[in-house]
Amino acid sequence: MITPDDVAASLGRNDGGFGREQSSYYDIPLLQKPHWGWEIEWYFFVGGIASGSAILAALSDVLGDPADASIVRLGRYAATLGSAVSGVLLIKDLGRPERFLNMMRIVKLKSPMSVGVYALTAFSTFSGLMLTRQAKADGLVPFDPTGWVPRLPLNLAWAASAALLGSYTGVLIGATAIPVWFSGSRHIPAIFVCSATSTACAFALAVLTLVPGTKSSAVRKLERLEIVAAALELALLRDYRKRSGKLGDALFAGRIGQTLRQTTERFGIIAPIGLNLPGALERGEHIGRAARVRTLVAAGLTLAGGLALRQCLLRAGKVSAADPRAYINHQELGRTSGS
Amino acid sequence: MSVDETNGFFTDVTLCIGCKACEVACKQWNELPADGYGLTGNSYDNTTHLGGNTWRHVAFVEQMDRTTPAESRWMMLSDVCKHCTNAGCMEACPTGSIVRNEFGNVFVQPEICNGCGYCVPSCPFGVVAIQPQSGIAEKCTLCYDRQKDGIEPACAKACPTDSITFGPVVELRKKAEARVATLLARGQHVEIYGTKEQMGAVGDLNAFFLLPDRPEVFNLPPNPVLPSTYQPGAYASLAAAIGVVALASYAIFRRRG
Repeated sequence: MITPDDVAASLGRNDGGFGREQSSYYDIPLLQKPHWGWEIEWYFFVGGIASGSAILAALSDVLGDPADASIVRLGRYAATLGSAVSGVLLIKDLGRPERFLNMMRIVKLKSPMSVGVYALTAFSTFSGLMLTRQAKADGLVPFDPTGWVPRLPLNLAWAASAALLGSYTGVLIGATAIPVWFSGSRHIPAIFVCSATSTACAFALAVLTLVPGTKSSAVRKLERLEIVAAALELALLRDYRKRSGKLGDALFAGRIGQTLRQTTERFGIIAPIGLNLPGALERGEHIGRAARVRTLVAAGLTLAGGLALRQCLLRAGKVSAADPRAYINHQELGRTSGS
Repeated sequence: MSVDETNGFFTDVTLCIGCKACEVACKQWNELPADGYGLTGNSYDNTTHLGGNTWRHVAFVEQMDRTTPAESRWMMLSDVCKHCTNAGCMEACPTGSIVRNEFGNVFVQPEICNGCGYCVPSCPFGVVAIQPQSGIAEKCTLCYDRQKDGIEPACAKACPTDSITFGPVVELRKKAEARVATLLARGQHVEIYGTKEQMGAVGDLNAFFLLPDRPEVFNLPPNPVLPSTYQPGAYASLAAAIGVVALASYAIFRRRG
């Protein structure tokens, strides 16, 4: 039998009476969901690898250890390919792809999206120049138009554009009205820098382990850098979780949180650190078969973890936008914008 | 643009009867597609939220009091783009499509927007959205076309109780203050939603409201965030991380011996 209380309870989703707690409007999302789909997840991933590869190549070229020539060569090809793929993914994601050039009507430093457009443009240009330089050295093209430019300034400009490309995406999502993102606005850019470095190291390690003629010292340097970047990334993720509180639940709780902990933290960061450690501490010239397999497995795990990180972050934005309570409760605690 | 010339909306919840004439007039004038016939069961609100196709939305709040039924309230609020003084969408727009027009309103130029979607998570009120058919960001234009012809926006024109009023924001504010004073004198607790004191970095809302209850009851954020206020922290994080990783890379890659 239906009692008056049941009726009141059914009316009371937005429960009754003045002074009673009424914390949201039928739990209908207050914010709009970001519409970004798989294109942007993969763009964040590919752009990160391209940016990290460029920085590794520029650094190795400037420091000039002949043993690292393979890193330089790979980085120049990977960065150019990655920037081209990034451009295609970004244009495909637009609601009106044929209008992509409208992005370049203005330069707007206040908009991280505009900053990113110019970072990618600069990065693609410098990558193209470095690719031409490499192609000339490889005997694929007859001349290098920037052959007269010394390596230091060109590499510095390339690395600077790469560093911005790999990290502006963190500002892009951090400086929004989406609670899980703005609660990590001080963490996400740094996490992306670390992840771009570790995934680029993993990518280079995978390729260089598979091709003949790689010097063992180059492999060891990549393994060392990957360990440092991955450890820093893990620490930042943990701090992000601690500080974001309830607003971080969209990313750190539920299925997304489980994926983040398993695929990114355990298998994508902690396991590769363990697998890379023996090689990183080794000094010998020879790299055995077991060590190669270990390196390859670690590289695969790091890359999968890096992709999962970006997927988790972007999907958490949609979950967070759909949860009006976290946003409203956060505001009632008196922590307002900019804090 | 001086404040005196800025036009806006004042929406008074205590006068709204929930007829949805504003929703209909807005759809009709702006030729917006229908949203279908879904029923939500949330009072009379089957529109749910503002979006690319919905630029006015009437929220229905039922507050039933079992012990003293006469104390029950049924409130309606016609929600709309707030045309913020510091608009998150406008700051985020990379193409310059979103501008402030000569009436002081935040306007998406449809022929320029390329649908990047960055304004969508940058609006602290969840207003602007990508319209699926056109692929661009769309929201209330405050009837820019009608204003250019010197007539008031369709929703305000259609409102039968003058719950929605249109005009210079300066005049609307005076009107709102007078209304608050009247209602307070009658013992009704109401407040204005949309002053810069509450809105923080977002500043005054040029489309503001008179609310008889807390903002979140109507799905309005009590303290909206302005996304760009997070940029300094984010850029600092970026710079620090690049510095640390660059140092580590240099230490590891430098030639030894």
